Amino acid sequence: MLTIRKGDLRTIIDHCIAGLPNEACGILAGQDKRVERVYPMRNAKAGPASYEMDAEEQFRVMKDIRQKGLAMIGIFHSHPSGRAYPSGIDVEKAYWPGTELPNYPDVVYVIVSLMDRADPVVKGFWIKDEAVREVPLTVLS
Amino acid sequence: MAIKVRIPTPLQKLTNGKAEVDCSARNIAELVEALEKDYPGIKERLSEGGKIRRFINLYVNDEDIRFVNKEETVLKDGDSVSIVPAIAGGC
Repeated sequence: MLTIRKGDLRTIIDHCIAGLPNEACGILAGQDKRVERVYPMRNAKAGPASYEMDAEEQFRVMKDIRQKGLAMIGIFHSHPSGRAYPSGIDVEKAYWPGTELPNYPDVVYVIVSLMDRADPVVKGFWIKDEAVREVPLTVLS
Repeated sequence: MAIKVRIPTPLQKLTNGKAEVDCSARNIAELVEALEKDYPGIKERLSEGGKIRRFINLYVNDEDIRFVNKEETVLKDGDSVSIVPAIAGGC
């Protein structure tokens, strides 16, 4: 389970809508599967069906998270016209190239579907052990 | 020269669970060879045809080596090298 405040969820959705028509992405930091901070990130490979975090920004944010005593517990990105479920490329990129070793085994992959922009769908997933498993999201108001 | 190398979780099986290892090298290419000597198998994980793999980011202190001198990026005593998988995907 991943717990997130309503305002933080709004931040995620707003960043994803602002990134349209391209995919948008970001990092979730927290503790004990509870999101404490949202980092909207730049999509360095911006396209309607692709994202790649800017490498320098990613490094800077990961360092900031460590310095704050938090952990990277989530990675979010949008599917502008796809459902809220990891694509084949999402799964492939979650593993170290050419292996079955998950890059970030303790991270929940959060996907925001903007198929219906008036009603975005947000879901979380583990991508590891050669499987995709949904992780329930609990939203705190 | 002593260089500190931060090892990401997926490679820690090769470093006997260690998240940080010490190494001696004058540049990134040498660093990969030095790591391979101590931790066989790591070279193939990090590089392909002598080049650092796409979707694997290496940083010397806070600098992405792609914006310095790639595999020829010079290392000096006390430097810290971080190996970080890129975060990417697409539908």
